[in-house]
Amino acid sequence: MQLRYVFTELRTGLRRNLSMHLAVILTLFVSLSLAGVGILIQREADLANKSLGNELKILVNLCIDDDPSNNPNCAGGEVTAEQQQRIETEVKANDEVASFRFVSKEEGFENAKESGAIPETAYTGPNPVVTVESWPAGYWVTLKNPEQADGIISALEGLDGVSVIKDERAALGQIFGIMKVLKYGSWIGSGFLLLAALLQVTNTIRLAALARRREIGIMRLVGASTLYIAFPFLLEALVTAIVGVGLAAGALAAFQYWGIEKGLAEHVQFLPWVDWGDYGESLYGWFPLGIVFLGPALTLIPTLLLTRKYVKV
Amino acid sequence: MSVIRFEKVTKRYAGPGKPALDQVSIDIDKGEFVYLVGTSGSGKSTALRLVLRELRPTTGRVHVAGKEINRMAGWKVPRLRRQIGTVFQDFRLLPNKTVSENVAFAQQVIGKSQREINKVVPETLELVGLKDKGDRMPDELSGGEQQRVAIARAFVNRPMILIADEPTGNLDPQTSVGIMNLLGDINQTGTTVVMATHDHGIVDQFTKRVIELEHGKVIRDEAAGSYGFQH
Repeated sequence: MQLRYVFTELRTGLRRNLSMHLAVILTLFVSLSLAGVGILIQREADLANKSLGNELKILVNLCIDDDPSNNPNCAGGEVTAEQQQRIETEVKANDEVASFRFVSKEEGFENAKESGAIPETAYTGPNPVVTVESWPAGYWVTLKNPEQADGIISALEGLDGVSVIKDERAALGQIFGIMKVLKYGSWIGSGFLLLAALLQVTNTIRLAALARRREIGIMRLVGASTLYIAFPFLLEALVTAIVGVGLAAGALAAFQYWGIEKGLAEHVQFLPWVDWGDYGESLYGWFPLGIVFLGPALTLIPTLLLTRKYVKV
Repeated sequence: MSVIRFEKVTKRYAGPGKPALDQVSIDIDKGEFVYLVGTSGSGKSTALRLVLRELRPTTGRVHVAGKEINRMAGWKVPRLRRQIGTVFQDFRLLPNKTVSENVAFAQQVIGKSQREINKVVPETLELVGLKDKGDRMPDELSGGEQQRVAIARAFVNRPMILIADEPTGNLDPQTSVGIMNLLGDINQTGTTVVMATHDHGIVDQFTKRVIELEHGKVIRDEAAGSYGFQH
């Protein structure tokens, strides 16, 4: 196949259908940006979930020596094995509990460090303020119904060895609720726009096939292969996809930098925030599919299917 | 050796009515020049489209260049068509390309090298008598010249068969004679020419084999025939 011919055809095709190609590019740009934002929100929800537990959970911290809670349950100092056994039996027996998991001091401390819940200066240096020993072990208790936690809370709060019951369902529920709305909102919006992009791609191909019908007819008669005939169409689709993806990647980078790093992350510090690695995932992750794959798939697959129909030999 | 063979070919289009071709058997040998004559609707165009594998017969078998093409896989069809050149009544040139570019197009799209194109296109334009008109646009040429360009495009890949569907239909008698002479020259190179036509004068003047179709049946096949007194 002659490259010169292919690029001449590509240039002619892009110029001939310029307004349609621009429409496809703009729609792809907006829809892929929204899809990318949806992916980032999804990852943000996962991060927050890992760091704070989801809205169905409550955290039961066990006593440590000189427990800062001053809870009379901790008068005996560090929780004993018998006290812990008693607490676990109580949790097991409670019918509001779906499941529970013991989180050791070490695991809890590592989680807190990783998620950024304790600042690095607090656990580094010669005399760190926070150490593994001063970090409480505890239980993550998953509830069957987030509305019903009174039974388990009242059963545990008087037990020796229980320092604090962190019931952050209400506050976390709101944050997760907002994230859910934003995530599904951006995905639904993106879905509609991607559908619009898909329809525009099919229209563009139909118009291009119509404009080139004489050339296509001659190509078929002189024995050009289907791939050869379809190649300029595929290339046009690829070019529009690349431009659309490029613009969306730029918009997402701007969102990551000004919206997250210089915006939310500076104002809301108790949550860990998505970073450039997550941005990368929104571009070329496999699940959900990143926009680098989504964009070309959206233009190339319908082009392949339609050109088979229009340029069939 | 036959390059086109129809064996009891019937072609029926969707819907009621008689078949477009009805049990047609034809043998055309390499290097022959054959007129396909008959009134509109007699089945001439259907026969040509069957040769190009634009259609498949309802029953019977079509052989082209030694291959049975009824059941030929779709991806092999382009290779078949590279052995067949096609010329139409309405020329079908690309208006935005020069004469040379129109002819070169038939080579470019089947992947011929630029070197070969640069060699073969001027040769072919000289053969059709348009040596000095390669840079002209189609709308700057007369009807006869445009048809010469179309013939150059059909012949540039040196096909085994040249199919001409009413090539003189839009031309005056004098220009038509020029086109017939050109088709005769191409035939002399060994290319089989099959020409569907309504043109009595041409068929009677340039005596060749005549196959006449009527209502989808072959009613006459003469080695050196005329258009036919009944028309």
